[in-house]
Amino acid sequence: MHIAEGFLPPAHAAAWGVASAPFVVHGVRSLTREVREHPESTLLLGASGAFTFVLSALKLPSVTGSCSHPTGTGLGAILFRPPVMAVLGTITLLFQALLLAHGGLTTLGANVFSMAIVGPWAGYAVYRLLRRYGVRLMVAVFFAAFVADLSTYCVTSVQLALAFPDPGSGFLGALGKFGSIFAVTQIPLAVSEGLLTVLVMRLLVQSSKGELTRLGVLIADKQARGETEAVAR
Amino acid sequence: MLPIDAAAHSSRWRRRHPVDKAVLGLGLTLLAISLPPWPGAALVLLTALVVLLGPAGVPWRRLWRAYRVPLGFCVTGALTLLVQVGGPGGFVSLAGDGPLRAGELLLRTSAASLGVLLFAFTTPMSDLLPRLVRAGVPAAVVDVALVTYRMSFLLLDSVRRVRDAQAARLGHTTRAAAWRSLGGLGATAFVRAFDRAVRLQAGLAGRGYDGTLRVLVPEARVSVRFTAASCVLLAALAVLTFVLERPLT
Repeated sequence: MHIAEGFLPPAHAAAWGVASAPFVVHGVRSLTREVREHPESTLLLGASGAFTFVLSALKLPSVTGSCSHPTGTGLGAILFRPPVMAVLGTITLLFQALLLAHGGLTTLGANVFSMAIVGPWAGYAVYRLLRRYGVRLMVAVFFAAFVADLSTYCVTSVQLALAFPDPGSGFLGALGKFGSIFAVTQIPLAVSEGLLTVLVMRLLVQSSKGELTRLGVLIADKQARGETEAVAR
Repeated sequence: MLPIDAAAHSSRWRRRHPVDKAVLGLGLTLLAISLPPWPGAALVLLTALVVLLGPAGVPWRRLWRAYRVPLGFCVTGALTLLVQVGGPGGFVSLAGDGPLRAGELLLRTSAASLGVLLFAFTTPMSDLLPRLVRAGVPAAVVDVALVTYRMSFLLLDSVRRVRDAQAARLGHTTRAAAWRSLGGLGATAFVRAFDRAVRLQAGLAGRGYDGTLRVLVPEARVSVRFTAASCVLLAALAVLTFVLERPLT
């Protein structure tokens, strides 16, 4: 769930925009360099953006019986790396704001920070860490998607708690309130997203080895295994 | 095509330059978040509604369908302001000024959302994206966004067809089958997106693709009269808010 238009006070909206800017600029530079060196990448990156957009539109059955949408940030970070995800995530969030009325333009900075920066980086860090210690690919993928999803909503709760501190207990009380609504309820959905990401990745390993190798996922996988073997030796 | 974009393509203001509509729609949004919620956001909300349903000609049913999405988040978020944690009333008690804060927040978000919806319901993405280069967005990013935009509809359509086929083959009858189908749906979307990108690349290469996507943008000029009228309306709303603030508070 994205922070809706106008929900954050102007100062907070601007501050989260400033906080997101370096990551997005870094991503834009990587993307521009990639496109300049390989012009055909524009189409593949566009396809990746469309995939991220469509993935976030899939209906996800929660283990509690309710229904939600995956963030797709974990899978995106594993496939396309966090710097590119910062740009693709920003484009996706802009489309969601203007085409679906999800999120907003004044809250774009805050939503980019939680969904296109913290989520992908946290998920990717967990994925790389687990692979480094020889954890199986699918287990690493599950935890990457789980952490990416949950960290996104934890950051959203922090953003809301900073904007609306509790009159009695300040920031911590507000964090408890917003966390219980937006983060704790998200745990079963994060589990669902982890399971879905494993299913998608399992099918991709079977059907799209070429694309995964081109994206560096399977090479990275071999490298990680090689590094682990070297450490074990 | 998604409903908001489809409505934008058939909007009365479709031929207007995006800058005209941005000044009015995004100006209303900026006023909504920067003016005092009462009476500022209320005035903006009323103005945005009148413009949306009147001159812009957006059908109210379509507007409500789009508007209820942010409203759901706002109501959920505003509910937390009604209670406070700790203090003399116990661990959790009703906040004294909770209803006032929640009401102000709802007013502000509702008004701001309508401002953006005014822009979204009248400006197709295909008119906006190519013009972002002039606004300073790197051409490479705009090209990626253009491909993403055009491919999203095709992918959404593919996903819809695959889901229908899965349902016809009893792919959603049990929980395990539903999960398997959903995994297949995600993987198919990935495979189709990349397959389409590779085929598009081959087609463009045959036409001398040099890395720049050239698209025809409908010609439109910034209307000085429309923009000036929008600025006057925004200024009038700001002045009216400060005039009415004391008597109405």
